[in-house]
Order: sequence, then C-alpha cells, then structure tokens
Amino acid sequence: MNNTVLELENISCEYKNDLILNKINLKINSGEKIALLGKSGSGKTTLISVLNGTIKPTQGKVKLFNESFEELDRKQKSKITTIWQDLRLIEDLSAEQNVNCGLLAENNFYFAFKNLLNISSFKKAHKYMKLCRLHNSIYDKKIGKLSGGQKQRVAIARSLIQESNIILADEPFNNLDPKLITTIKNLLLENVDKNNRKKSPKTALVALHRLDLLNNFDKVIGIRDGKIFFNIKRNNLKKIHLEKIY
Amino acid sequence: MNKLKFNYTSLSFLPILVCIPLGYQLINNIHFGGFKLFQEFLISAFNPKIDNEIIITVIKRLNETILIGFFSWLVSIIFGAIFGIISSNIFYKIINIPNFFYRIIRFFLTIIRSIHEVVWGIILMQIYGINFSIGIIAICIPYIAVNSKVFAEQLETIDYKNFESINQINAPKFSSLLTLIWNPIINTFKNFGLYRLECSIRSTVILGLFGIGGIGTSIFLSFQTLNFRELWTYLWSLAILIILSGLIFKKIKFNTTNKILSIFFIAVFFITILFSFSYFLYFIFNNNFENFNSVSSLFKSSSDLGLFDFLKLILETIILSLLSTGIAISLPPLVIGIFNNNSSKIFIKIFAFLLRLIPTPVILLTLLTFNNPSLSLAALTLGLHNAGITSKLLFTNLDSQDKRNYIAMKSLGISNKTSWLLGLFSQQAKSYLAYCAYRSDIIIRETAIVGVIGSVGLGWQLQESLSSFAWQEVTIVLIAYSSIAIVGELINGKIKNSLT
Ligand SMILES: Nc1ncnc2c1ncn2[C@@H]1O[C@H](COP(=O)(O)OP(=O)(O)O)[C@@H](O)[C@H]1O
Ligand SMILES: [Mg+2]
Repeated sequence: MNNTVLELENISCEYKNDLILNKINLKINSGEKIALLGKSGSGKTTLISVLNGTIKPTQGKVKLFNESFEELDRKQKSKITTIWQDLRLIEDLSAEQNVNCGLLAENNFYFAFKNLLNISSFKKAHKYMKLCRLHNSIYDKKIGKLSGGQKQRVAIARSLIQESNIILADEPFNNLDPKLITTIKNLLLENVDKNNRKKSPKTALVALHRLDLLNNFDKVIGIRDGKIFFNIKRNNLKKIHLEKIY
Repeated sequence: MNKLKFNYTSLSFLPILVCIPLGYQLINNIHFGGFKLFQEFLISAFNPKIDNEIIITVIKRLNETILIGFFSWLVSIIFGAIFGIISSNIFYKIINIPNFFYRIIRFFLTIIRSIHEVVWGIILMQIYGINFSIGIIAICIPYIAVNSKVFAEQLETIDYKNFESINQINAPKFSSLLTLIWNPIINTFKNFGLYRLECSIRSTVILGLFGIGGIGTSIFLSFQTLNFRELWTYLWSLAILIILSGLIFKKIKFNTTNKILSIFFIAVFFITILFSFSYFLYFIFNNNFENFNSVSSLFKSSSDLGLFDFLKLILETIILSLLSTGIAISLPPLVIGIFNNNSSKIFIKIFAFLLRLIPTPVILLTLLTFNNPSLSLAALTLGLHNAGITSKLLFTNLDSQDKRNYIAMKSLGISNKTSWLLGLFSQQAKSYLAYCAYRSDIIIRETAIVGVIGSVGLGWQLQESLSSFAWQEVTIVLIAYSSIAIVGELINGKIKNSLT
C-alpha cells in the first residue's frame, strides 16, 4: 500500500537570484526509509527545511497527507519532526529541558512553564536520553557545557521524544563514534525499539555522507545543485549514480 | 603628530571643543558673591550634621524614598518586560497579529519614553496635587517604556534558527513564545535589574526635589535654607542607600532551579500585576482633579507663546543637549588620561561618584553660587552629572581590559599618557562612543530638569505654562519636547548601529 505522506510538486527555492532548489518533484510514501545523498552545498538542508515547512519555496507546492501545508492545523503539522544539521538547541536551557521541548506540542502552556521552571516531569525525557546513550550526569547540564557528540544526541532525543510519524534528519551522525552511529541509526529507522514497545517514526528521510551506512534504507535520493539526479531503490544503486552527484 | 585623523579615539576627545563657547559664557557670567557659600558647601561634606533628631528624619525620609523607588522599580520592570515582549519582533513572528499593532505600540512607547519622569511628575502634581502615589506613577510611566525597550532589544538577540526549530515542533503558540523568550528575559532582569533599581532611587530623589517626598524633599529644603551640614547628611545617607541596595541585590541569586524561590518570584510577579491594575482603577475613579477640571479647558486656554519664542526655546534645548553630551563624552577620557596614576584615579572615582550622587538640580544650585544662570551653566551641570556616569562605565571597562599592550608600550619608553591613549583607551573608544550615544538619549530628556531650575529651554517654559494653567502651551511644549527626544533617539540609534 503506497500512500504518500509528503509530496513536493515542482518546488523551486531562490536565495537572492541563486536557484538553490530547481523544480523538485518528490513523493515520500508512508514507512519509507530514504537516504538523501549529495555534496555539501547541494541543497540537502534546504530541501529538508522545505519539507518541514520552515522555508517557503519560491515556487511549487508542499503537501503533507495530501493537503497543502498551509492548510493543515498545528496537530497535523506536528507529525513531522526534524533533527537539524546545526542542532538548534536552546543554549541556556539544560539538556533535559531541551529534550522536554519536544513535548511542547502535545502539552499545554502550563507544561512549557513548568519545564522552564525546572519543575516538570523529566521521566519521558530521561527515557529517550537513555536510548540515545546519554549518561544521566549530563541530564541537568546546560547545552553550552556539552561536547559536540552529546549535543548531537540531545537534539536527536528532542526529536525522537515527539514520536512523530515522519522524521527528517539532517546529517544526524555528525560527531558520533561508530558504535553510537549504529545505535542512533537503529533508533531512527527501526519501527520497534529495543524493548519491543515503543514505535519509532515510521517514515524517515536522512541526509548523510557515508555510503557504508546505506544498508537498512529502502531508497536513495541523489541531489546535486538543487536537482534530484536519481531517486531509486537502494538495491539498484550503482557506481554511475554516485559519480553523477559527487 | 601629523594630520588629525578621524577615528574612534579622536572622536571621543573632539567634543571637548564645546568647552570653548561654554567657557566663554561662563567666564562672562562669573560672580564672587556666593564664594563663601560654596566654600561652606564643600566643607560641610566632611562635617555632616549628626544628631538624634536628624537621624530619625533621615530614616523616615529614606523609608519613603525606598518605598517609592522600590515599588516604581518593581512595577516598571514587570510591566517593562510585558511591554517589551509585545513590542518585540519575536512576538509577532509567533502570534499572528498584524504588524500594524507592533508599530503602534512601539510608537506609543517611544512617545512616553521621550518625556522625563520629572515632567510627568510636575504635570501629574499639577493635576492631582502632591500625593505619595504620584511619585510612583510618574516614575513608572517613562520607566515602563524605557525598560520595555531594553527588554525588546534583548529579545531581538534570539537566534532566528532557534525560533525556526521551536516553531517546527508546532507547539501551542504561547508555549513556543515562552520557551524562546524565557532566558533573554531572565538574563535582562539579572543584568539590568540592579541598574534600573539605582535609576529608580535617583529618580525618586529628583522627584523629591520637586516636592514628592522622601529624601529628595529634605535635600531641597535644606539647600533652600542653606543648611549645608544637614544637606550633606542627607546626601551621604543617600549614598549609603545606593551602595547598600547594590550589595544586597548582588547577594540575591536568581536561581531558577530552586522551586520555592521560583514560586516566590512568580507570586511577586502576579501580585504586582494585580495590585497595579486595581490601584490604577482606584486611582482613576477616586481622585479629584484639583486643577484640571475638564478636557475642554485644554482648548479654551490661550497661548501667549509666540512662534519666535517657541523656536528659540527649541533651539536652546537642542544646544543644551549638544553641549552637555560633549562634556559627558570627552571629559572622562581626558581627565582619566591626563591624571593617569593610582592616587589620582581614586580621587577621580570619588569625584565621579559624587557627581552621580548629587542630583542635577543641587549641582546646578551649587554652581549658581558663583555664576549667573545661563544656558552654559545648565549644560555644564548636566554634562558633569552624566560625565560621572560615563566615567564609571569607562573605568569598569578599562579595569577589565587586557593590559599587555599598555605595559609593552610603557616598557618601550613611550610616555605614560601616550601608552594609556594608544594601548588602553583606543581599544575602548568604539564601545565607549556607542554607550555615549545611548547616554545622549537620556541627556536630551534630562534637559527638562535643569531647564526648570536653570531657566532655560523648554523645561523652564513647561514650568511657567503649568503654573499658569496654560494647558495648551503645556501641550505644545510637550509635543516639542518629545519630537526633539524622538529625533535624537533616531539619530543616536543610527550612530549606535554604525558603532556596533
Ligand atoms: N541562508 C542562506 N543564504 C544564502 N545562501 C544559502 C543560505 N543557506 C544555504 N544557502 C546556499 O544554498 C545552497 C544549498 O545549501 P544547503 O541546503 O545548506 O546544502 P547542503 O545541506 O546540501 O550542504 C548552498 O549553495 C548555500 O550556499
Ligand atoms: Mg546541510
């Protein structure tokens, strides 16, 4: 059953007359695990920002669950979560407070208030931080005091805690050592977590550089100069494909 | 030295040229009639009156000052934060309200801010009569607007990318807003809170000079009766109050991880808001307008103010601001640079402290003991007082600066003064000038205070018009005032932007 969850129709993006995305058409089906490949500067981050509604394209239409993005309400929009390349954590808040920010969508104002006052429950946050192999000694540390890899995992935990159907991850393995990369990749892609309880996001699009990490993905998209050069099953990926984009 | 180059260092010294016209007028106006008085004033500083009676008065008056100062601080910082939030970009990015409101609120706050608390005080006193709460209200009106600007500016520093990422979580709007603004608001409170408390206390003192009550009233009365020993008792007790409040404030830690403390602060926050609202309503419905019988009197009253006189007053106010700003900018680096040794430094620091401590009207009255009232004298007063403030900042920055260049230059045999100038000050000049641009906004507003006493500019006209209940004139003067202040703020904003 191929139902499309996210769709780009003829998307173009300009920055001061520079065409960053050039007439992109893309369908992402429910449950697909997609790897997004491309040199740095090819437009991966911009594509992800368009997909999550942060950047309004100069041209074209973004559809989520077959509806135009602007027409969706907050609850529906919150079915997408993003791990940003530059993390975008709030530096002055602690790690656990940042992770709790992921819960803002499903809670009311009072929760946000309690989170800032540090009197909310961090149970769920701690659970996800543990899944990301974050040690409990850093739970209440300010983001500014964490290492690159720790920050990276806080950002991942903030995203995973949202338990969204669709996860967009922009180079999420930066700063992580090989063992952690495997753990995190499983968290992002597997439908079932270690304890066979929690369902992780169904649909995933992950921008990455390392070709050795491509197993477990269903599809590979290659992007260069803002254009999609190929969009194929992983099994069909050949050397010539990669030569086109690198 | 070859050609004079325009860089930040030379620009910091250039304004001292205002001393030429200023000095000329001052010398022409000199008189020696009050020399003995001045001498007595100085000697009394070391010999303040201390007895049981005056100590009781001091405590009573200080209590009033603390009460007015503290409550106006509390109310103005809380409402300042609220107005700061609703006049910040981030608010309009998250909450869908047309940008139009943003402009209206900002414009409204700019106008309120452009009029000095003393002017608000004088007007309110004229309408409602002298009344304890008038002091609080008079300070709160412009302070809320000033604080809101400080808060809004801090909120502009929120990283746009953080906004995007919180926005992408798609939380309820007010949750996102609160999460984003929380830290900038807390930090602003930590960084500016103490300074604003000090400002509130100073403003309370100045309003006291105009009869609101508190230590300021005592200062004024003792000056009027030439009771200098008493005057200095009040001034020193004020100094102790300001220093103490600083020490206490530094002791308080705004630890947001302490639950009980957090709840206490939240409680204070909401109680202040509720209390202010209810008091505001009470004030509106329960006050007799003493002299301001109806709005229509505003239009009936005639104005004797000719266009020419009016333009002259505006010009005077502008010149007064420029001359004072010149002194406030250039005097501190000049004096600190010339007397660059440890013992002079202590002396300069004490002198600067006194200039900050003594309210401008009192400085002016003191200077009047050997000079006739003139625009230059008012400018000198305002300039000196503000030089006391700019020099404090300069000292703080110089002390915390890396001194390696300076030491290296001195060891090369370059003279003490040149090393100071090129090795120390030149690195500060840019940020110092940026601060002075901000200070000059305040100077423009403060021209009102010295204007009232030194009989120059719009401040003086305002007093005249108010005492003859010429409300139309009052309105015109206020509009002129706030136009000058707003234009000044725009120009200074441009200067500040180019400096940072
Ligand atoms: N804020 C911006 N302003 C101007 N150009 C930008 C901005 N962000 C990205 N670009 C340009 O857009 C192109 C694509 O960038 P990006 O989407 O970040 O690529 P990638 O994530 O694949 O490295 C680059 O050429 C980059 O220079
Ligand atoms: Mg990128």
